[in-house]
Amino acid sequence: MSDNEAPDTPRKGELSRRDLLVKAGAVGVGAIAAGSVAGGAGAATRRSFATPKIRYGGRIIWALEQDPVHVAPYGAILTANHWGKQAAYDSLVEWDKDLNLKPALATSWTIAPDQKSITFNLRKGVKFHNGKELDGDDVKYSVEKMLNPPLPGSITTVSQVPGFLGVDVLSKYVVRLNLKTRDARVFGFLAWGRYSPIVPAGLYDQINVARNAIGTGPYRMVGFNPNDRVEYLANQSFWKKGQPYMDAMTLKTLPDEQARIAALRAGAIDGATVSSDGANALKSDGNLVVLKGGTAAFRELQFTIKGDPKPWHDVRVRQAVNFAINRQAIIDTVYNGNGNYSGIVPPGYGPWPLTQAELKTKHQKFDLTKAKALMAAAGQSKGFSVKLSTFSTPLDFQQVASVIKSQLKAINIDVEIVAQEPGTFAANNGTGNFEWDLTARGMRGDVDGYLGEYNPSNTIYQRWYPLYKNVKVWRAIGNGKITLDPAKRSPIYKQAQLLLQNDLPQLGLVQVNKYQVVNKRVQGMYVAFDDFNTGLRNSVWLSS
Amino acid sequence: MGGYVLKRILVTIPTLFGISVVIFFMVRLLPGDIVAVLSGADIGNDPELVAQARENLGLNGSYPEQYWRWISGVVQGDLGDSLRNTQPVSEVLLNALPITFELVFLGLLIAVVVGLPLGVLSAVKRDSRHDYAARVGGLIGVSIPNFWLATLLLLFTSRVFGWVPPLTYVPFYEDPIENLSQFILPAIAISVFTLAIVMRMVRATMLEVLGQDYVRTARAKGVRRKVVISRHALRNALIPVVTVVGFEVGILMGGSAIVEIIFGLPGVGNTLINAIFNRDYPVVQGATLLLAFIFIFANLLVDLLYGVLDPRISQE
Repeated sequence: MSDNEAPDTPRKGELSRRDLLVKAGAVGVGAIAAGSVAGGAGAATRRSFATPKIRYGGRIIWALEQDPVHVAPYGAILTANHWGKQAAYDSLVEWDKDLNLKPALATSWTIAPDQKSITFNLRKGVKFHNGKELDGDDVKYSVEKMLNPPLPGSITTVSQVPGFLGVDVLSKYVVRLNLKTRDARVFGFLAWGRYSPIVPAGLYDQINVARNAIGTGPYRMVGFNPNDRVEYLANQSFWKKGQPYMDAMTLKTLPDEQARIAALRAGAIDGATVSSDGANALKSDGNLVVLKGGTAAFRELQFTIKGDPKPWHDVRVRQAVNFAINRQAIIDTVYNGNGNYSGIVPPGYGPWPLTQAELKTKHQKFDLTKAKALMAAAGQSKGFSVKLSTFSTPLDFQQVASVIKSQLKAINIDVEIVAQEPGTFAANNGTGNFEWDLTARGMRGDVDGYLGEYNPSNTIYQRWYPLYKNVKVWRAIGNGKITLDPAKRSPIYKQAQLLLQNDLPQLGLVQVNKYQVVNKRVQGMYVAFDDFNTGLRNSVWLSS
Repeated sequence: MGGYVLKRILVTIPTLFGISVVIFFMVRLLPGDIVAVLSGADIGNDPELVAQARENLGLNGSYPEQYWRWISGVVQGDLGDSLRNTQPVSEVLLNALPITFELVFLGLLIAVVVGLPLGVLSAVKRDSRHDYAARVGGLIGVSIPNFWLATLLLLFTSRVFGWVPPLTYVPFYEDPIENLSQFILPAIAISVFTLAIVMRMVRATMLEVLGQDYVRTARAKGVRRKVVISRHALRNALIPVVTVVGFEVGILMGGSAIVEIIFGLPGVGNTLINAIFNRDYPVVQGATLLLAFIFIFANLLVDLLYGVLDPRISQE
């Protein structure tokens, strides 16, 4: 998790992990499944420190490296969309900064015995920004929009939604969420918040949702100008007493990194995300503080296993590639020594990923001798040529590709790097029109999001590796998805990862640090694992 | 004159029509449409959902059908809606246009106000140190990419003065000082190339004009040097400069995109670049048509200006 995280001491009014598990056990094992993305590292470290007194007020100006394009609550694909709208909306549940599940607009919930429905008790007295009180009809409307997002949202995001059937409103503050089948992904999806905000019923008929927002979040959106900025004012009726801490927030779109660096130096903005080189350049500035932390956006090498026979269709070749890649060298060369090894579930994603020790000493250990032996066993001692597609920007993708190219020469694989503009890359990637790809993965609401694509029913499987077969993997994925008890779920996903780490239809590479630089007056900001700017809405205050 | 203008306007229509066809099909040659670009693999790409998304966005049907739907709206003043945020394209461009207009105007103003006198000085004091300095400066000016200069200016002012231009656009009529503070650096960045061109063009034509018989005659008649330069020589030297400036209006309207992105100005160029990356076809098509229209109109104005500067041309 992030280097700058605060200690995991329960704050007043919050549940400790122990209390959460006990109370969740009383209302059904499904609540425990929701806590399945708990931060193990965070829970292990408890230290005390003097908490500075929060100063209320002020406006923060934060630079976004990408334009949100629109701020509609549903159907938005870009992460930047959530950056723009996150401060305005809440979901039924939420994560804390260590990805522990917390009540939000729902104060408690009960899983039905057949686990095909969940009854939520809504928080009373919560007001939307337009003054309307939250009730069951709003939740029903919101879930309907999750399942069928109107424009400007894209219907393709429905594939991210767990098997919701719909909502029954049992009373003003009690709703029942019906599911197609048992589904362990529900709480993670809701807590993630990206596709699951709760809005007032009839919102799409009331305002232009592409340019404005009405939610229950700590900040009230004043307006959004595309390619320019989003403006927020404090929500004085926010349901968390004592918050928000600031009067106002401006999110300014500044895609050029040098412009963000210049603006930080000049004090024109209070914070922004920068590259590792940018952070290095700014660390000596006495007015600025560099924050860094791991996120879910790890780098991955993807293979297509389809069509005419190719050398890497042989699992031994893929294993050879795995052992021939020196991930530490990538971290040192491209990322200034900052980063972690990553499997297909990124480090820091709760208790789910394989440990660094396992990856470094066994599954991803750099071993050229072993790699050459595997190539020989596969009859590929002489090697082969392959095209590796990647993004033309940001530059680190091409840099990583170059390192891989030079490393794979040792086992006679001639890599031709094909750098593509992001739109072209995404189009080719989506259709499986590539040999090898170097890309970045992203956050998921549930661990199934990283493994579900290896199931033959998934479109990605069908387009990328229809020739890959492992019944044990498929069985594990299927079982994991419907097992709500995390104690039972954990070994299932561990087994699946070990099998996939052997078969390697995709190759996890490295998890890179994200750097955010803030003016020293900004307090409480942290690099969020989910790649959002969650600290801005939850914990940031200004010391001057 | 009126007939000439009318004829030029009528020629514009088939030109714009041809541009609309070219840009419509060219942008669709890019791999993937907006659904493919946004869907990718990370979001999951169920074929049924993708097909539904395309239908929702009006991307179903053959290309001629899509073109007909779009152009039918254009002739009625409807440029369509952005595929990304459903905002009317006309609204997108109306918001962006004043920003780019101001940037280009200020850039050209700096280029002409500085370049013109430099060119004159360089021609009048030929082979002097002023001339050499101006010529070297001109060479540097045409060599420097405007986006590189923009970044350099930002880094310089932030490091040395602890200042960067204001980040929020304020119209000139609301706060002239704030507005000009925001535009001065980007305007300088885009002006340098044109400034160098203007300076070199003025120098070259002034040298040619100053060697003409009528200038020698004027000098022989005792006309003061300043009057000879300003009234006799400069006016004729301006004609190619007007040509350059006219071309630069069209070029800068689209060519200042990177500078707009660097300075966070939500102008037409910035909007167009983002639309291309995101395969937002209506915005790309609308913005390109707009820029083409401006380019054509600017050149029409240049041609008319010729007639003012040189009565022989208007008589022809």
